[in-house]
Amino acid sequence: MRLPKGFQFSQGSLQDFFDCRRRFFLRYIQQLAWPAVESEPMLENERFTQQGINFHKMIHQHLIGVPADRLSSFAFKDDLENWWQNYLDLYNRLEFAKQTAIYPEITLSSPMGNHRLIAAFDLIFRQRDNTFVIYDWKTNRRRPPRVWLERRLQTRVYPFLLAKAGGFMMDGKPIPPEQIRMVYWFANFPLEPEIFNYDEKTYHADQKYLAHLVETIEHAAEDNFHLTDDARMCQFCVYRSLCERGIQAGIASDEESMENDIITLDDTFLDFDQIAEIPF
Amino acid sequence: MSALKLSTDQIHLIESSPDEKIFLEGIAGVGKTTAGVERLLFLLAQGIPADSILLLTPQRTLAKPYIDALLIPGVSAGGQVSVVTMGGLARRMIDLFWPVIGGQVGFSHPDSPPIFLTLESAQYYMAQVTAPLLQQGLFESLVIDHNRLYSQIIDNLNKAAVVGFPHAEIAERLKNAWNGEPGQMHIYDDAQECANRFRTFCLEHNLLDFSLQMEIFTRHLWNLTQCREYLIRSYQHLLADNIEEDTPIVHDILRQWIPQFRSSLLIFDLDGGYRRFLGADPQSAYSLKELCSTQFEFQDSYISTQPVTALENSLSTILKPQETAIKTLNPSIERYHPKTALVHGYFRFYPEMLDWVAKQVKQLIQDGMPPGEIVILAPYLSDALRFSILQRLDNLNIPCVSHRPSRSLREEPVTQCLLTLAYLAHPQWGKSFQVTKFDMAYALMQAIAGMDLIRAQLLAGIVFHNRQGNLQLTSFSIINPKMQERITLRLGEKYESLRIWLETYQQEPPQELDHFISRLFGEVLSQPGFGFHSNIKSGEITANLIESIQKFRWAAGEYLSETGKSIGMEYLEMVRQGVIAAQYLRSWQPESEDAVLVAPAHTFLMYNRPVEIQFWLDIGSRGWFERLYQPLTHPYVLSRRWLVGKPWTDAEETATNQETLYKLVKGLLRRCRQKIYLGLSVLGEQGYEQQGALLTTFHKLFQQWQSEGEN
Ligand code: SF4
Repeated sequence: MRLPKGFQFSQGSLQDFFDCRRRFFLRYIQQLAWPAVESEPMLENERFTQQGINFHKMIHQHLIGVPADRLSSFAFKDDLENWWQNYLDLYNRLEFAKQTAIYPEITLSSPMGNHRLIAAFDLIFRQRDNTFVIYDWKTNRRRPPRVWLERRLQTRVYPFLLAKAGGFMMDGKPIPPEQIRMVYWFANFPLEPEIFNYDEKTYHADQKYLAHLVETIEHAAEDNFHLTDDARMCQFCVYRSLCERGIQAGIASDEESMENDIITLDDTFLDFDQIAEIPF
Repeated sequence: MSALKLSTDQIHLIESSPDEKIFLEGIAGVGKTTAGVERLLFLLAQGIPADSILLLTPQRTLAKPYIDALLIPGVSAGGQVSVVTMGGLARRMIDLFWPVIGGQVGFSHPDSPPIFLTLESAQYYMAQVTAPLLQQGLFESLVIDHNRLYSQIIDNLNKAAVVGFPHAEIAERLKNAWNGEPGQMHIYDDAQECANRFRTFCLEHNLLDFSLQMEIFTRHLWNLTQCREYLIRSYQHLLADNIEEDTPIVHDILRQWIPQFRSSLLIFDLDGGYRRFLGADPQSAYSLKELCSTQFEFQDSYISTQPVTALENSLSTILKPQETAIKTLNPSIERYHPKTALVHGYFRFYPEMLDWVAKQVKQLIQDGMPPGEIVILAPYLSDALRFSILQRLDNLNIPCVSHRPSRSLREEPVTQCLLTLAYLAHPQWGKSFQVTKFDMAYALMQAIAGMDLIRAQLLAGIVFHNRQGNLQLTSFSIINPKMQERITLRLGEKYESLRIWLETYQQEPPQELDHFISRLFGEVLSQPGFGFHSNIKSGEITANLIESIQKFRWAAGEYLSETGKSIGMEYLEMVRQGVIAAQYLRSWQPESEDAVLVAPAHTFLMYNRPVEIQFWLDIGSRGWFERLYQPLTHPYVLSRRWLVGKPWTDAEETATNQETLYKLVKGLLRRCRQKIYLGLSVLGEQGYEQQGALLTTFHKLFQQWQSEGEN
């Protein structure tokens, strides 16, 4: 299947393919605007998303030198105040600023098949012992379990791309996968981060897995982009009227609980042996 | 480096040391951007971190060759090159450093986030500020559409910001240059008053239009140590293309910034300056040359074939006899007759000419020309002209794309259907709008699949009631059975679902207008049996409408809640007045890769991409050389090149027009490889005979050729 000119793979688009091939086709190949409701309640979700965006921005501002006391006055409402305080505690504990180098809001990309794979990181920092930590700020209302995070493409794509494309942070030398750690930090559960250590074996497994996934997409014929068998996905997908998979959007909190126990995905394109080898 | 065949000069430039400060100049088509792209790839291949490279262009379209090059898999793994315009960078920096700068600049609420205005939302606020003044009699002597008035006042503010003078001096500068009736000068004072009030209003409400963004960045943030250090730390290499199309304030920043970069490449098009009406200043751009230790000038055209170059020579000699014909390294150019680069069709009526254009395009494609290698250009592209051409091409199954969709968002039947239904669903909005039976019938035609105009009118005639402004839809079930049969039960059932959905909605608290439309779209109109189901175009237009409403809500929501007005109703009112949704801004528009482009000539120049074939339409139009009528602003007087206090005379106007035409013709020809097709008609689009300077120039050229033939 010919992907649009300039198309780049990301953890989001790969996750879409993983969740529903049809969605990938409609969203990225046909680039179809279909402005139905994704999840309910709309206004509350919009506010929540906006708060998440503001939270990410405030951390970015803080890490490039805007004083925390100037920023704190912007964290005056709803969850943001709490999140911000939790972040400041983390900051004081971990002292990001004392690391060798910090890279907030950085984008890395690497060739992958006939395209590029791209990822936007919330924060990467290099410690004095030349280990690298990826931080991803999460504002989930509920703390997802490790097994769910483990299955997310993000958990594979981020450390892989850092190892593959982060050499410039290591004075031009490749970063050994053993020196990479990925941390999901939850603003609502600041003392329960989820940490994934990376290693050479996982790196090679990810490389093979992602290359295979990209190749599958690049070579799939249109009728291979079929509708998901898991109709629950459709409750939280804007294309549901187009696919004739329902009328109303699902409730957002249900979405999280649903996502937490996704097990019956269509992953016939995966190399199961390969996954089994990955020591999460 | 890519497999392109490059000249020695190009290779020399590209492979210069990564510490070099380079200035590259040349006319269009000599391979400057190609060298720029290759230089970028060379730096990356040398291990320069991509995220330390800043790529600056005056507008996004001009960065396309670089973006395309960066997307190829061959580019090594690493960070991301920052591709920006100075306006985009300014906005990003304000957003990041707002907590530090907001209070210093004079905003009333520095502890609340800034609200960045789009052109559309700036127009909205300008209308809010200006409308009461209009009622008091400002601009009384001026007959002009209000929206054009707002946009010219905004334009003045933008000019002050990008040229770098205080916005309070706008009227003074314009008055000093005014050469007409003294009684008319007060309109500049009126415009100044509106600009001042708008600025104060923005400061009071944390609103940042483009002019304020640029002013804050250049006057405050650039001088703020934290911000400047952040920028200098982030970027060590600069590539700036088409600097001649950028504004003097950008050049001022670069003048200070270039010494801080490890390397820089500035690219200057000797014939450029097409964006003068937006404040472009080639002269100030050129002055940056002195900061660069290495200088290159490229001369060999990679684009135009000899006949096109010969045509350029012939036209240039007529347009500017005082200037020598362009230099060409090929002395045999004389051997090529410009005639071979020109095809023309001459007709009495305009539609005949358009038919001819469509036929020629078809023929070219049949002969193997890729559609993407053909452009159809006119000085201004009216909606009617764009529609006529696109429709003709469409009828011949020719893939085509315009720089704008064929209709503005507010004119789209899909938009009108959605807004009619929104109005019906919100009786609390009062009786401010007229919804007629016709509107209802058209809405039903869009909303229900298979509903034709006759049935829609029949149905609307029966079920739609407007009782002194109270709108009501009655049930299909109470219509007499014969009529039900005529309308058909299938259509009746869909109508009934829609009616019940709207009725149910009204029983709950009203939602934001964009949320309402999203829900209406997903739960009804895009479901099977309704008009938007599987209709890609409807989805796209609905998405654009939702985005427009959402942006309006984010920009004006707080202000409106202070005034107690409903956002949805205000949006509808602004659409009706043409203040918003009248532009052609669409974010959801997949790019067509191989399609005939239909665009105004200046827009095409800003795509900076050569093509094989150009069609020029409307060549009798004065639009090829004359400025738009803009009584409240003046791009030349409000530029840094104009001596403050000097009057603008007819002589200046004539000279400027001549220069504009000369540059435009050269710019187009230098972006054409094979042939120009001229579509000529005795009567123009409006049905009048036209005798513009470009037409006269071609007449002279044809006469020359005729006399050559006779000799
Ligand atoms: S509605 Fe369901 S099947 Fe259709 S694209 Fe979305 S998830 Fe896939």
